[in-house]
Amino acid sequence: MNSLRLSLAYLRHKALSTALSVTTFAAGVAVIVVLLLVNAQLQNEFTNNLQGIDLVVGAKGSPMQLILSSVFHLDVPTGNISLDQAEQLSRHPMVKEAIPLALGDNFRGFRIVGTTTAYPEHYQAKLKAGGRYWKKEMEAVLGADVAARSGLQPGDSFAGSHGLTKGGETHAQFPYKVVGIMEPTDSVLDRLILTGKESVWYIHEHHHHDHDDGDDNDEAGAPGGPTGGRHQGDNAEHDVAPHAGHHADQDSMAPANRDVEDHAGHDGEPHADHDAGQHAGEAAHGGGREITSLLISYNSPLAAVGLPRLINKSTSMQAASPSFEMARLNAFMGRGTETVKFFAWFLIALAGFGIFAGLYNAMNERRYDLALMRSFGARPAKLFALMMTESLLIALIGAGVGVAAGHLLVEGISTWLANTKHIPMTGRLFLSEELWFIPVSLAVGAVAALLPAFRVYRIDIFKTLVQR
Amino acid sequence: MLEVNHLKAGYQDKVIVELPQLTLDSGEHCLILGDSGSGKTTLLGTLAGLLSPLGGAINVNGQDLAQLRGSALDTFRGRNIGIIYQTLHMVSALSVLENVLLPQYAAGVPQDREKAFGLLEQLGLADKKDQKPATLSQGQQQRVAIARAAINSPGIIVGDEPTSALDDRACETVMGLLLKLAASSNASLVIATHDQRIKAHFQTRIRVGGAQ
Repeated sequence: MNSLRLSLAYLRHKALSTALSVTTFAAGVAVIVVLLLVNAQLQNEFTNNLQGIDLVVGAKGSPMQLILSSVFHLDVPTGNISLDQAEQLSRHPMVKEAIPLALGDNFRGFRIVGTTTAYPEHYQAKLKAGGRYWKKEMEAVLGADVAARSGLQPGDSFAGSHGLTKGGETHAQFPYKVVGIMEPTDSVLDRLILTGKESVWYIHEHHHHDHDDGDDNDEAGAPGGPTGGRHQGDNAEHDVAPHAGHHADQDSMAPANRDVEDHAGHDGEPHADHDAGQHAGEAAHGGGREITSLLISYNSPLAAVGLPRLINKSTSMQAASPSFEMARLNAFMGRGTETVKFFAWFLIALAGFGIFAGLYNAMNERRYDLALMRSFGARPAKLFALMMTESLLIALIGAGVGVAAGHLLVEGISTWLANTKHIPMTGRLFLSEELWFIPVSLAVGAVAALLPAFRVYRIDIFKTLVQR
Repeated sequence: MLEVNHLKAGYQDKVIVELPQLTLDSGEHCLILGDSGSGKTTLLGTLAGLLSPLGGAINVNGQDLAQLRGSALDTFRGRNIGIIYQTLHMVSALSVLENVLLPQYAAGVPQDREKAFGLLEQLGLADKKDQKPATLSQGQQQRVAIARAAINSPGIIVGDEPTSALDDRACETVMGLLLKLAASSNASLVIATHDQRIKAHFQTRIRVGGAQ
């Protein structure tokens, strides 16, 4: 028998109160663990996907939405931009690299991105042995997660469906052929299907001729932007229902050369029932081809000063800085995280108080035991240590249970998130910050035990044990 | 071996009982008789080293308790004086065997599980060693308390009404076991009681609060 075994015996003896203290403590710790893990993985996701992308250029609208849709493939795009304008911008001397993205379709919720091989190269993606990048239309390369989850192999075919989320109309007559699979990149590429941007145009051009013959509404022949008040309003409609209309559009008034903004403003509402994807290929008849956005890396840091302003002022396009938008997003999330964190620390403090109350009560019930041990020769310091051990045990067990529960929770969230194909999470990640729970729980335990433990020194043995 | 001279026993600086002289050689026992409130408990507490004497000297195994203070007194008491309280004060979180080992844990001396088990065996409680005290009868708990008082082989074993809660048969059993244990370790029993049934076992008797 020693102080540890004696403490454990006491903890077992009052199992219910022990369980309550441990649970409260663990709850607080678990919440903090979840916050730490989720935050770390979000930040990691952000940095991995942002690497080297200085500017995102797309249709006017919410800059945050543009970043989320084009860099992280989370939100729907703000609209389309004209390919001509995009190419013009790509040739700007301060632009080192410009990667075009054309969104619009998905396969089982995985986005199909029409682009160039510059996109995978930007993320240093490598193809698995036996694979190659697309050489012609309707050839596709799968991200590692897509391949793993769909089981598709090079040589297999699949049909994309309309829109950016599951459940759209299937383009069954235009199957893609898998020509390669990428190794995991730890970036959003893992969850994308890449193809040439021509494939996206190809599908939707044919699509239109097949189904919507004569509906010329989608032909946004006039790139370049008219400016003025109406323009702003149009963009607002873009955000609400960015799917620039087609199919059901029976608007006979539509002339062939209406500009993009007018078009979107007109069609935004009737198409709200359609999936929320913006089709890069929709308005892609003839020469007026469009893409969704352009990911830009600067040649020199100086570009940050002038280029975004230039784009925003002199073109119909919008330039958004990922780092600025991410800082904004972090600030929003930070406030929420702070609140939850505060709540978690409150739980831990509450648990500390619970331990304190438990020990204080125990002191009353146990003053006979403690006096008895004193009468058998135990020094007060020994009993002080005994009370401390008990409190520290609760705190440490609580912290251990909390850390385990936190990881299990995140693992649970990750399996749930896996179905949304957004941000990958795992509970099997351990952060060095978690080591802080050891000193923190020891401190909480020690503080909680301090007052009850000091009462040991004031026990009157004779009065407690003999006199009544 | 116990030697008392001009002892003034009391509580919180108030003298309640005086004991001019008492000498017990090893193995000699003594009974302290007296009515409730007579001060026999205070006297017993002082002889047990739970209270510091207010005057005079108590010599236990050659050490004057009056000279010891604080934790030195705690340590000495833990190793040389066995105590049986009237309220038995079993530690309910611990097993019977662990309760017997508690004085060794408290005194910081090596714990001798075999000896503890041997004591329980002598007292007929071997099969109860892993049970919690609460599952035992009053008489059985009394015997656990006796084993606990004897575990450190003390020179004197002090008992406060060790038999008064027991029926006649249990009283005889417990008294017999106490005497047997005391004899085997050559300890002196100092028992405070108003239980007339055990008077016959003691040659030396002190009456407190009345004629000696």
